Amino acid sequence: MVTLIVGTKKGAAILKSDDARNWSHEFALRGWGVTASARDEGGRTYLAVSNDVFGPAIFVSDDLKEWKQLESAPRFNPGDKGNETHIRIVGWADFTGRYKDSPRLVDQIWTLHAAHGAIYAGVSEAGLFVTRDRGQSWEPISGFNDHPNRANWEPGAGGLCAHTILTDAKNPNRMWVGVSSSGFFRTDDGGKTWAEKSVGVNTDTGTCVHHVTHDPANADVLFRQDHRGVYRSDDAGDHWRTIESGLPCGELSDGHRCSFGFPIVMDRPSGDIFIAPLDSDNFRLPPDGQLAVYKSSDGEQWRARTNGLPGNCYSGVLRGAMAADQHGGIYFGTSSGAIYGSADLGESWSEIAASLPRIMSVEAYAT
Amino acid sequence: MTAVLVQLPPVLRAVTGGARVLEAQGGTVGEVLEHLAAQCPALALHLFDENHTIRRNIICIHNEGIVRAKDMNAHTVAAGDELLLANALAGG
Repeated sequence: MVTLIVGTKKGAAILKSDDARNWSHEFALRGWGVTASARDEGGRTYLAVSNDVFGPAIFVSDDLKEWKQLESAPRFNPGDKGNETHIRIVGWADFTGRYKDSPRLVDQIWTLHAAHGAIYAGVSEAGLFVTRDRGQSWEPISGFNDHPNRANWEPGAGGLCAHTILTDAKNPNRMWVGVSSSGFFRTDDGGKTWAEKSVGVNTDTGTCVHHVTHDPANADVLFRQDHRGVYRSDDAGDHWRTIESGLPCGELSDGHRCSFGFPIVMDRPSGDIFIAPLDSDNFRLPPDGQLAVYKSSDGEQWRARTNGLPGNCYSGVLRGAMAADQHGGIYFGTSSGAIYGSADLGESWSEIAASLPRIMSVEAYAT
Repeated sequence: MTAVLVQLPPVLRAVTGGARVLEAQGGTVGEVLEHLAAQCPALALHLFDENHTIRRNIICIHNEGIVRAKDMNAHTVAAGDELLLANALAGG
């Protein structure tokens, strides 16, 4: 049985299949933007929701049928000062132009990550929170939220968001957090201090990590889809080098040529890595209108995998909208509401759903 | 205290277990929202932000008039009144 938890702009699609061909469909939490999901070791599923008027929250379910909202959620401390540019981008302005004294608020939960018996939440305005009691209470990770360089953090086009969380299965004190567009941060002391890790990444116009993947059991080997290319690190992020052989490279708005895109995921048993390139930050469309997943089996060379994917396609794949079920299944959703799946590590694809709202997150579980 | 009925927008009914109308008490719209939040902590997240400020894009319809978030703490209500919480809309 494979279960897909698909977060869309207007609710959660829950798709199930026993044979990876025939899928049952359910749609939960109508009207809520579902921005991220995770499952804890006890099998509880967490859905992060967001609403432009009523703000973010987290719903949980033990059976994927009955959903209950948690009474607690990630929240900044009263009085924390917000980032003026972020507030302007996400529309929290009060139309008077007075951003200077606006508060720091959680407006969206971008990622949920289960590890070490806890659930971590990455949010915008960029922040990191953790629950160790299955969501009954959330603690801010102050070493990150009050980072000494925070005043210099710059938002990306989607705001100042902490969108990627990675953990080390062997070392609970080490974890990584990606922030658009302020960098990729690592802590080695359980969250007290965080160092930015982008040596070797082209940062001529900022530090805009888009997503990073790895195997938590071999945590120091990292693969990074950045605004300015695709990179790998073999030393936990201390140094990075470009790995773009075989990838389509387009011209960014500033003239730099690289492979642009958002999601990057790993099938841990095989070590295969998957990305969905777009034609630069100018267009953000599949190159030549061909929806394509690129696969690397050695972490160096990439090959296009398009069998079953459409041409004449002009929608992309958002940052959190690709997932591996860790049993050979790879799944992704598009910004125009289609879901595609592969049961053979990306060699062939089929359409699972065609008419969902804009897809913001995908998680896949094989049981 | 004054008891009023508050109708919730459909999206918030997932938070209240399907309840469409809740009874709450208070002399102003702000106090009514405070009482709702105390009765239903999950709802509190959606009514108030981190600084315990009423979320700015919530409106309340009361006696056929619109009460904006910034005015809710001063806007008085009477026993038996019906309030409707809704989104502030900015176009079609």
